[in-house]
Amino acid sequence: MKLASIDIVLILIYCAFVLAIGFLLRRQMVGSAEFFMAGRSIPAWMAGLAFLSANLGAQEMIGMAASGAKYGILTSHFYWVGAIPAMAFVGVFMMPFYYGSRARSVPEYLKLRFDEKTRGFNALTFAVMTVFSSGISMYAMGALLALLLGWNIHACIAVSAAVVLLYIALGGLTSAIYNEVLQFFLIVFGFMPVAYLGLRDAGGWSGLAARVPETFVHSWSYLGRADANPMGVEWFGMVMGLGFVLSFGYWCTDFLVVQRAMAADSMNAARRTPLIAAVPKMLFPFLVIVPGIVALGLTLHPNPGAAPLLPTLADGSYDYNMALPLMMSRYYPAGLLGLGLTALLASFMSEMAGNVTAFNTVWTFDIYQSYIRPRQNDAHYLWMGRMATVFGVLVSMATAYAAMRFNNIMDMLQLVFSFVNAPLFATFLLGMFWKRTTGHGAFWGLVAGTGAAALHYELTNVMGASSLLPKIAVMYSYPSDMAQNFWGAIVAWTTCFVATGAISLVTAAKADSDLRGLVFGLTERSTDRERAWHHRPAVLAAVVLTLTLALNIVFW
Amino acid sequence: MRLDLRYPIGLLLTTYGVILAIQGAIVRATVLGLNVNLYWGVIMMISGLVALYLARRRSPSARGDKSGG
Repeated sequence: MKLASIDIVLILIYCAFVLAIGFLLRRQMVGSAEFFMAGRSIPAWMAGLAFLSANLGAQEMIGMAASGAKYGILTSHFYWVGAIPAMAFVGVFMMPFYYGSRARSVPEYLKLRFDEKTRGFNALTFAVMTVFSSGISMYAMGALLALLLGWNIHACIAVSAAVVLLYIALGGLTSAIYNEVLQFFLIVFGFMPVAYLGLRDAGGWSGLAARVPETFVHSWSYLGRADANPMGVEWFGMVMGLGFVLSFGYWCTDFLVVQRAMAADSMNAARRTPLIAAVPKMLFPFLVIVPGIVALGLTLHPNPGAAPLLPTLADGSYDYNMALPLMMSRYYPAGLLGLGLTALLASFMSEMAGNVTAFNTVWTFDIYQSYIRPRQNDAHYLWMGRMATVFGVLVSMATAYAAMRFNNIMDMLQLVFSFVNAPLFATFLLGMFWKRTTGHGAFWGLVAGTGAAALHYELTNVMGASSLLPKIAVMYSYPSDMAQNFWGAIVAWTTCFVATGAISLVTAAKADSDLRGLVFGLTERSTDRERAWHHRPAVLAAVVLTLTLALNIVFW
Repeated sequence: MRLDLRYPIGLLLTTYGVILAIQGAIVRATVLGLNVNLYWGVIMMISGLVALYLARRRSPSARGDKSGG
């Protein structure tokens, strides 16, 4: 891929804009509330788009296109099953407790609802996880740019990290959110032409369907048995593992996204944030998965005179990860190519900024202020937040370099994190909706759930695949790593749910007066009957879920 | 004074749109028979101008009459 000077100009204009926003917001950062929570002043539409954008990393865009090429429209389950229902749930049912508790972070909510040790466990694992994952995506981005454009990977990592560092250190969460909204528009404008042109080249949806296997254009028809579809998962594992445990665990408890809603300017805006985000989210499969399917279609049955789109790897499989970049290089002339690369860069930066702002908040409030230096003045914590931003970015860069040298260690870390994440939603569900849940129950339930996830991994394997960690004993073989992942999550969630419930019953619960605003039944319901329909979370949720159902039926 | 985000969004989309449209009008590179730079540039420019219009229309009422909106 060769870049023309116009492409470079477009990328530089983008960098100038994001930095300018950071500089313009610098003066507003007068205290920690502005820096870490955007002064709780973000309008619903902006919080909603930032909520979505913080999750739209470059790895997600490239990975979802790759999955589209590998599994077809089945990949849409990551959106229509694995995101929208959870986004509706967090907006309607959980946000009243997050926002109403006035907690500044998700770990702080756990402290208010349960106790110090549950908060400490969550804060520590979350902080470590966010810096590592932003480092891993930093490496992936640098490696991609180096491969595509022949740019120097060290320069790519350093420059992109410096831009993100600067605009967050200057403008805090407000700057991150403003830029995420800007990045959202760039992502949409940058990827839309490739989806349109690809589909046009493949002869529309029907032309595309004729080029790929039948299983690639149906989302549910082949989910009856695990061996009937390319993902190797049956409908129950899909709905329970991905749709319930993993999806609710991410969208409802991950501070990276929840922080955006907590920054909204009112309870009503906070509740509408994930619902507003759900509308573009449900359309994203057309933007990222469809180009992936087109890439496969034009590889299996290229148009006359055209070369197959995807390259073949040494082991005979296609290089799926190149689907999106190669589609861009085929359909984007100089000019549009600059826009497309800007979109990739924007998606990378939005995710990294999401990680960094979530990290600096959890570090400053839940670790530094709680355990290291309590009772300092506000200016001190504002200073610490800026330091944590620098520190977080530096650790991310170190992680990126570690990932460059020891690929396996990073995969292992991600695996271990998945053990910690899988049971989380059980803790929140019980904590928010059953006032009898206790701190001991929550903490030991989480430990048990994490242990169950690890044990499940140790006792099962994936047919024909090598394992990252040595196994104790193999009692069951899954047809795909996705099936193993989904079922592991189900096991972890169930263990945590049962253990938390059982331990709560034999330990002392908090008094009702301490749980006001934190638990369902002890919190005043917000009434929104007098509002217009599009300002009522429950109505919006019904609309969003109906549209998602319709999409599932269309692509059944 | 707070920054109205619609200004930078509008400005960025308009700038990109104008640059792409000019590139399309001069170089005339076509993909599948379409001058994609020109068409997409015009669409981006119009989107950017709409964002700028919304920001401008909103700002006087936001400054003066607080009860509006």
